[in-house]
Amino acid sequence: MASLVRTIALPLLLALAALVPFANNDFYVALGVSIAMYAILATAWGTFAGPTKYISLATAAFFGVGAYTVGLFYEKVPMLLLYPLAALIAAVLAVFVGLTTLRIQGMYFTIFTFGLAELIRQLMTWYQRNVSGSVGVYILTDISARRIYWSLLVVLALTLFGSWLLSRSRWGLALLMIGEDELAARHSGVRTTAVKVITLAATSAVMAVVGAIVAPRWTYLDPSIAFNPTLSFMPAVIALLGGMQRFWGPLAGAIPLVILFDQLNARFPTSYTLILGLLFMVIVFVLPDGILGFLPKLQRRHAPAAPAPATAPSTGTLSAPVTPAAPARHASPGVDGTSGPAPVPTPNGATLLEVRGLRKAFGGIVAVDDLSFSIREGEVFGIIGPNGSGKTTVLNVISGVYEPDRGEILFLGRPIAAKAPEEIARLGIARTFQLVRVYPSLTCLDHVIPAALFGGHARTLTEARDHAVQILEELGMGGMLAIPAGQLNFIDQKRLELARALALRPKLLLLDEWLAGLNPSEMVIGMELIESLRGRGMTIVLIEHLMQAVRRLCDRCIVMSFGQKIAEGEPEAVLRDPEVVRVYLGEADDA
Amino acid sequence: MSSLLDALVTGLVYGGVYALLALGLTLQYGVARILNLAYGDFLIAAAVFATLLYQRYQVSPLVSLALVAPLSFLVHLLVYHLVFVQLERRSGSWRAMEASSILLAFGLSFVVSGAMLAVFGGKLFSYSYLLVPVRILGSVVPANRLLAFVLALVFGGLAYLLLVRTRIGTAIRAIAVDPDGAPLAGIDVRRWAGLTFAFGRVICAAGGVLISMFQTFNVPMGVAFTLKALVVVIMGGAGNAVGALLAGLILGVTESFVARYVSPGLTLAAVYALFVLAVLTMRTGILGKALR
Repeated sequence: MASLVRTIALPLLLALAALVPFANNDFYVALGVSIAMYAILATAWGTFAGPTKYISLATAAFFGVGAYTVGLFYEKVPMLLLYPLAALIAAVLAVFVGLTTLRIQGMYFTIFTFGLAELIRQLMTWYQRNVSGSVGVYILTDISARRIYWSLLVVLALTLFGSWLLSRSRWGLALLMIGEDELAARHSGVRTTAVKVITLAATSAVMAVVGAIVAPRWTYLDPSIAFNPTLSFMPAVIALLGGMQRFWGPLAGAIPLVILFDQLNARFPTSYTLILGLLFMVIVFVLPDGILGFLPKLQRRHAPAAPAPATAPSTGTLSAPVTPAAPARHASPGVDGTSGPAPVPTPNGATLLEVRGLRKAFGGIVAVDDLSFSIREGEVFGIIGPNGSGKTTVLNVISGVYEPDRGEILFLGRPIAAKAPEEIARLGIARTFQLVRVYPSLTCLDHVIPAALFGGHARTLTEARDHAVQILEELGMGGMLAIPAGQLNFIDQKRLELARALALRPKLLLLDEWLAGLNPSEMVIGMELIESLRGRGMTIVLIEHLMQAVRRLCDRCIVMSFGQKIAEGEPEAVLRDPEVVRVYLGEADDA
Repeated sequence: MSSLLDALVTGLVYGGVYALLALGLTLQYGVARILNLAYGDFLIAAAVFATLLYQRYQVSPLVSLALVAPLSFLVHLLVYHLVFVQLERRSGSWRAMEASSILLAFGLSFVVSGAMLAVFGGKLFSYSYLLVPVRILGSVVPANRLLAFVLALVFGGLAYLLLVRTRIGTAIRAIAVDPDGAPLAGIDVRRWAGLTFAFGRVICAAGGVLISMFQTFNVPMGVAFTLKALVVVIMGGAGNAVGALLAGLILGVTESFVARYVSPGLTLAAVYALFVLAVLTMRTGILGKALR
């Protein structure tokens, strides 16, 4: 119903807005231009910043690029060609910014964009002063304010529609995951850098088109107009006030704010910036969750950080999974979604993963030193060792988080060392994290769908959804599809991570202390689950501290101490090795 | 030849001040976890303060320095507790807090520069203080620049010693390394983060006064100073004082050479070029942090 209202309301509203110029009042047209312009800029800004939480402060830079494209070329190039040209230049600039700063996480993107408008302003000033002779250009065209207004309305409609489509697509889902937990997104097979850079380029192109459309309004254009910092500031204020990613948000924010600022600018021209800043601070401050609070359909909950038994799960949800998981083992519809009879475990199968001479040091600490081992198809391979012996580092190197300093990793005979996590995930290596990494505000289903989708095997959202539902049901989480992960108890979060890993249809599953922190009864469930995976022929690397689990689950294992392998073989034999007993079991065998 | 030396010496003087600015900023970002985009605007505020005192009451900038330091300390302790701590309480998560604190600081920068614009507009500020030529290495340097350079190094050195040699400094560094772990060692994170935030601002204000001694400036220049301080922090490695000093000097010298031999209009482009280089050559550390 709401969507019906929405589908009718928008065209109706735009049609009404299109009639404004017939009122024959220049003031209303001018105001309409401002509102439409800022509504588009805010939508474009929010489309990127909203889900990803990467704050861009460079709207003015892209807008100015568009305006200047018109200013410099309008006499030589037909207007209609200038819009795509402006979009192209802005997109190239955005790709440059993105490739420089978005490959890495952190503040670099925000810092880079912070000065970008000022940089381009200075470059443009320098160019005009030294090359073209005078700062500023006259834009003398016969384009009327009405026509600008109507053009903006068209772009507004397209932008709103585009942003709406995006929020419903796999692309939108990828953006959301990037904002929630980028590394986990990569391990689900999301090509995060590409997604970020392309989205930034597309939204920046829209900003430039707006600049190009609005440019003739000024008649005289100089760098301090085109690259005015307020242009970076206002869209953020509007998006925040209106609610990012809400369909009506940018319009709801733009109309009151533009009218207000128009009045302020007229009455208090000198303290305009001051008032703008104060108002902005109030808006940021009054919105309790910052921009996060505006994500639709998501309820924020704190993730339970406390590992474990402390989270006292109710026995009801606890015992539930045993039933579906256990019969699944015999009925064998494959927890990984592949059907067919369960193959007999073949620990003597072909080599799936081979690690040769691996070394990884962090500064002076050698976490992994000259480590070699190979894993055969269908076996459960344990990596054990005292805390700090380098187990998780091995796993991080295999899954692409770290680049090894030396050594080779061959997966199915192909080298994968130093490939990006998302590429490795797509090749068929899935992992879970020692400390669970779920996106607290996304539902269970939304965790698993992307892995099915970006892992490369589900072609459509529906297919991915079906697959995700199937996996979750098989893991006994069928009743939790719509629950945000932050509300789950610890074992369910762990199961969710497993579901996410399985949705990639991995050939190799890396479990990093997946059983750690579970209470005894949860442990039984957990071990049964792993056994059922093994029964289906899944190759598993198990990093584990619990000797009980290692003995029961592993076909072979290695023991690490200070980054080196000190023993290898069947668990029973390895655990009797005097060296192993000395470094490890002598201190901590509670099995 | 002498112009080459001039450019070098000028660059080093600026570089020393940039290093000081970066130290203040890295303290704020590293310990209080606030990316302070209003940094340059507060710097300009301190510079304006010193200029006005000198022009109207012939107060030496050294005295202004002594006035500005405690004043900005108090003001920013208040700003931290009234604004940022409240924001943190209201934000659901750290990630949300990070995003909103950036926006808040961005808003703050508009407030500070807006307030000054309302009073002074784009007017240029400068005063002549200690305009005595001093000969160094065959190059003539005004004494005010030399003094600014020496003071920048002294302040930076003192702050560095405070961080490395004292119990307080150890607590502050502990927070920078692990804000969740520090309370377990009995460190009151909020209190020290607030004090560090304010202390970072004292360094910033001192930098502002030093800059006012030898450079003509106006209110809109705040953005450029914020950016330069940020770039120096990134180049030097966050929390690395020696790196900051080196990076500051590199930035200062590069800027000075570009201004002299290429075009004064391209200095910001030079800053960005260094920024891009620093980011592109940086590989380690970032993902390690993400894994935490």
